[in-house]
Amino acid sequence: METSVHPPMKPPMKPSMKPEDVLRVIAAARGTAICIPTMTTSPAWRTIAPGDLSIGCVGFMGGASTLGLGLALGCPDRRVIVFDGDGSLCMQLGSLPTIAGVAPRNLTHLLFKNNVYHTSGSQETPGGEGVDWVMMATGAGYRDAFVIRTLDELKEYLPAILNGEGPVFVELHTGLAEKTPMTDRGGLPFHQQVETLRGRLSA
Amino acid sequence: MPLPESVPAPLIIDTFKDLFRAERRGMRRQEPLGWIISVPDTHQKTVLAALDKERDVRVLTCSTEDEANGVAAGLWMAGEPVIVMIQHAGLYASVNTLRGIAMDGRVPIFYMIGLLSREQDKDPSESKHSMVRYAEPLLDVFAVPHARLEGPDDVKLIPEYYRLSRERRGPAAVLVGLATS
Repeated sequence: METSVHPPMKPPMKPSMKPEDVLRVIAAARGTAICIPTMTTSPAWRTIAPGDLSIGCVGFMGGASTLGLGLALGCPDRRVIVFDGDGSLCMQLGSLPTIAGVAPRNLTHLLFKNNVYHTSGSQETPGGEGVDWVMMATGAGYRDAFVIRTLDELKEYLPAILNGEGPVFVELHTGLAEKTPMTDRGGLPFHQQVETLRGRLSA
Repeated sequence: MPLPESVPAPLIIDTFKDLFRAERRGMRRQEPLGWIISVPDTHQKTVLAALDKERDVRVLTCSTEDEANGVAAGLWMAGEPVIVMIQHAGLYASVNTLRGIAMDGRVPIFYMIGLLSREQDKDPSESKHSMVRYAEPLLDVFAVPHARLEGPDDVKLIPEYYRLSRERRGPAAVLVGLATS
């Protein structure tokens, strides 16, 4: 797919997207993709896509991107979508060149950028709003990387996000999620999610 | 007591391939034979160099050992045979991921961990290097089964501990006590 199909560059603006709305759009279009929410996307995703091909990363912050990489390499015929956070990606920033170096064509790396560590009390992330994640992903070698600021843009560029040749990186400008893993601790324990996903992928 | 001779890289790689072949048996997907996820380790550099020439085994180099754990877990969930090769400093660096993924997630991750600077004339517990001294006690704290590879006769420990990681659904490690040849 051409890499020039991007939303136009715009000046920074107040985030207009709720993470839950973004997740609903993705859920409706993901098809058979494996989804990997982490931190504040985890509680909402459990409600929006219950019992689906997903595995939530909480307890080893920063691990979603490489868990997604392993799944993408192991399931080359299936799309893998990582719902990363900016605070989380800061913790394993090296995963950008690691992913780009292997360049799985079936991996979409979504970054929910809210500029804070929401789960631990909304402390500002290093660099906060000023961090240009698209530049980092591009510099690392992702095949495609762009910013989405509105739901309309998200819907418009959904084909490139979900079907474009990966690795695709999308910086999503969002507000805060309604729930965090601290305010909503539900869901299956991680080891049960692992077992369930492995069983479903081998079926 | 002096350590026996170094372990040749081909012997280790053949052992990996035998393990991968056994795990691949009956699977739909046959390629690659298996995966080596590594963060480069000086003690195992001859193995890594030889692996670069292997067509059947795919090697993926990660930026950090945290990442190696994540990639290995994803591959295992997808049914892929995988081994993680790191050094002791990387074990220290990735303890939270080992705990969160391999232990809490009950993901069988088998590690080959190089003991760089391990002195040949003393037990690791008496090493003057803290990175050598604390590796085995750290694994003990987390109840991670481990053994030491310090000669060709020890190569049999690789399949033993690889299988142990699968049986117990968790981490298991072989510590590479002297540089491979």
